[in-house]
Amino acid sequence: MTTLRVVIVDDEPGARSLLAEYLAAEPDVELVAACANGFEAVKAVGELRPDLLLLDVQMPKLDGFEVLELLEAPPAVVFVTAYDEHAVRAFDVHAVDYLVKPFPPERLAASLARVRERLARGEAGAPPARATTAARGRPLERLVVRAGERIHVLPLDRVDYVEARDDAVRVRAGKEDHFKPQTLADLEATLPPGRFVRIHRSYLLNLDRLARLERYAKDSHLAILQDGTRLPVSRAGYARLKTLL
Amino acid sequence: MHPILARRERAGLYLAGWLPLAPLVALLFVWGGGLPWGWAAALALPLVLLYAQLCLAAWYPCRAVPLRQSRFWWLIAAHLLGALLSSALWVLLGWALAAVLAGLPYFRGLDERFAPLALPLFALGVPLYLVAVAVHYLILAFEASREAEARALAAQVEAREAELRALRAQLDPHFLFNSLNAVAALAGSDPGGARKMAILLAEFLRGSLRLSARASVPLAEELAHAAAYLAVERARFGERLAVEEEIEEAALGCLVPALILQPLVENAVRHGVAQLLDGGVVRLAARRAGGRLHLAVENPCDPDRRPSRRGSGESVGLANVAARLATRYGEAARLEVRAVEGRFRVELALPAEEAPKARHVGRALRN
Repeated sequence: MTTLRVVIVDDEPGARSLLAEYLAAEPDVELVAACANGFEAVKAVGELRPDLLLLDVQMPKLDGFEVLELLEAPPAVVFVTAYDEHAVRAFDVHAVDYLVKPFPPERLAASLARVRERLARGEAGAPPARATTAARGRPLERLVVRAGERIHVLPLDRVDYVEARDDAVRVRAGKEDHFKPQTLADLEATLPPGRFVRIHRSYLLNLDRLARLERYAKDSHLAILQDGTRLPVSRAGYARLKTLL
Repeated sequence: MHPILARRERAGLYLAGWLPLAPLVALLFVWGGGLPWGWAAALALPLVLLYAQLCLAAWYPCRAVPLRQSRFWWLIAAHLLGALLSSALWVLLGWALAAVLAGLPYFRGLDERFAPLALPLFALGVPLYLVAVAVHYLILAFEASREAEARALAAQVEAREAELRALRAQLDPHFLFNSLNAVAALAGSDPGGARKMAILLAEFLRGSLRLSARASVPLAEELAHAAAYLAVERARFGERLAVEEEIEEAALGCLVPALILQPLVENAVRHGVAQLLDGGVVRLAARRAGGRLHLAVENPCDPDRRPSRRGSGESVGLANVAARLATRYGEAARLEVRAVEGRFRVELALPAEEAPKARHVGRALRN
């Protein structure tokens, strides 16, 4: 049996040590990192390429789902959480299993067996979780983006607008640009309706940033933002804006 | 529904109780009226069964004049009247039966031989009816006690459920399950610590039940409860959670609504310190200024999280505290929330009422 390389992510030291203790008793399992938060987890997965992520959901700054969203090549994931309210979402992001704390070592062993089975069938970990936040059930309150090693958590009220690029979106916040590999339509679906408006095929605007609208041609307008930025507004976008203003 | 007719086995038992009377009545007919045995038996059995049915009617006066709530003479009068009426009816029915039977060749002359039996039969009918009254009273008492028992049980269940509802409303399932997980974690590496944690958790749960059953508690008790909660959370979060208290001695005896601080302390941990990578300090403060009691709970928070989203657990907890203060004290209490750059502070100000015991001591000292 090949050795299963595992990363633990939990913000409570006791929960980490319990998982480590359970794993130590399992044959052919190597604990390669125990992370106290989502940032450490994203870093550890990038550097160590584990086979399995034992992932807590409720953590400061970056929750378990956001961690998954930031991983380029996510390993197999087993969620480990105190409460089963996230179970549906967990399977939407193709988690192998979902453990509710506290659980006996046998329960973890069963999960490991399931992970090995999946790996043996050649199914790697979860597919990149780009669109998975759509499964969240409630609108986003923040965006997580990564730039190389750095991870940014952007509260929505810091976001000015989002522009569609080929396979990604450019998130403009203050004077900074952030890139996120996701389509504009997917992102739009997860944002709170009424706060962000699709003003153009390629632009999603934070309504709070709009200073005024200017007529540009017969059928098109320009949105002038508070910082002076000008964005094109399509006819459909203008109609949407008018119903909201 | 009649309690005897309501259940088949009861009705059977009742009739079976009457059956031994049939030979007795037959004997009365043979000895008192000189009837031949065949006639006596043919008349006695249907008469006894008929009277059994008739006496079921005793239930109605029994219900109309309950044993406990009715005057003695009223009881006697009602049941004596019932006895006389039903016994008379019984004799009449007997007479009718005898007349019908007399139509048959075997029973020729029975109707004439029945006349002298009317009085003894009437005399027997009265006490039999009174026995039936007693039986009905017994059954009523039995049913009443069973009903009372069922009602008491239902009330008990209801009270327990209310208690559980209160507890569930206050208990964050994440807290409970994570704490149990921490106990499980300690059990392997530090059994003494696991025991301590289990005891802390039990103390907190017991406190929740005890306090939620009371309207007001001395601040000292409310703070002790918060301390039990924070001790459990500190065992979970380790170095990330620290607690500082600034409590004036004079404030400890003041009465506060039970569990008024608890939602604020839980928010401070759950939505404050627990959301920070490096954690922080939860500060509790209490002081008494003249007739006012000032309480404050303060915690660092993640400035990127939008504070008090409507409908979030956080704002529900705050709204509950505000509503409870308003119903209890009206304008006399205030709740203020200050959220500035990374710090979240809730201040309560309410009238300083002293616990009765403390007031007693105060008066004794003044005298």
